[in-house]
Amino acid sequence: MAAQNVTPTRSELINVKRKIALSKSGYNLLKKKRDGLMYEVFAILPKVKSIRADLVQRYKAAQESIQVASAVEGAITVRSVAMTVTNPPKVVLREHNIMGVKVPKIQADSVRHPLSERGYGIVGTSPAIDEAVTSFEALVEQAILAAELETAIKRLLDEVEKTKRRVNALEFKVLPELDEVKKFIALRLEEMERDSLFTMKRIKAKAKAREAET
Amino acid sequence: MGELAVVGRAEFTLGFRLAGIRKVWDAGSEEELERAIALARRDDGVSILVLETRDMTRISPRTRGELVSSVSPTVVAVGLEEDNTLREKIKQAVGVDLW
Repeated sequence: MAAQNVTPTRSELINVKRKIALSKSGYNLLKKKRDGLMYEVFAILPKVKSIRADLVQRYKAAQESIQVASAVEGAITVRSVAMTVTNPPKVVLREHNIMGVKVPKIQADSVRHPLSERGYGIVGTSPAIDEAVTSFEALVEQAILAAELETAIKRLLDEVEKTKRRVNALEFKVLPELDEVKKFIALRLEEMERDSLFTMKRIKAKAKAREAET
Repeated sequence: MGELAVVGRAEFTLGFRLAGIRKVWDAGSEEELERAIALARRDDGVSILVLETRDMTRISPRTRGELVSSVSPTVVAVGLEEDNTLREKIKQAVGVDLW
């Protein structure tokens, strides 16, 4: 809003003052929101880091165990066992709201199964396969945790950035421009007031002179 | 109740099949990967989508952008390669490398 394009009237000045008050309260609220989001990010971050590190470790272990199983039993046996495993892990995905940011809340069920409930024959397979299944179940368990927290932190960080951009726009663009408009209108109104005062004085002086003549 | 889904190379998905995951899409090439991801995302029964970290860099930036902060399904990248998405996001949002 360029100051020069504004009509310098009292009503416009009132409007601008109202806009400034609204922008300032919005600015304060957004700053609080940004700080709150940052607090949430800092609270989750250590957990995310440790879960990610653990996930990588579990992935390494799972890969090693499946390679061992393939070497001992043969790739085809491992594949055929994989086809017979039933009982998929069940998850309940809910949305949780943190300061207007929707983040996932995941509840997992039946990720780890005892040997007897895995669906493949224990007699015909070696412990290497059992070990591989156990490793991958542990990996899936950790992946579920990582999915929840990593998505939450990513969404929170996106919102922090958006809020930061809004705060900056208000602080460095909107509020200075509105202040400029307010100053411009106030100056113009003062000028107009002085003009009218001067005109009144001149009229008064002329009237007095006319009175003195008569 | 939802399920987990896995998309990736056959060697990557095999282990997850062992853990009981039934919704598995084997995808080698980039086109197959994009197609499989689209299928998994369209499936209402999928709550969590597991991808390989290196595959996250092979998909189009648009799909990656959509996956990174998707809630339903929630996407997680698993692998030995370092995924810098989160690190970059932290740097951008906080201004400091806290990772």
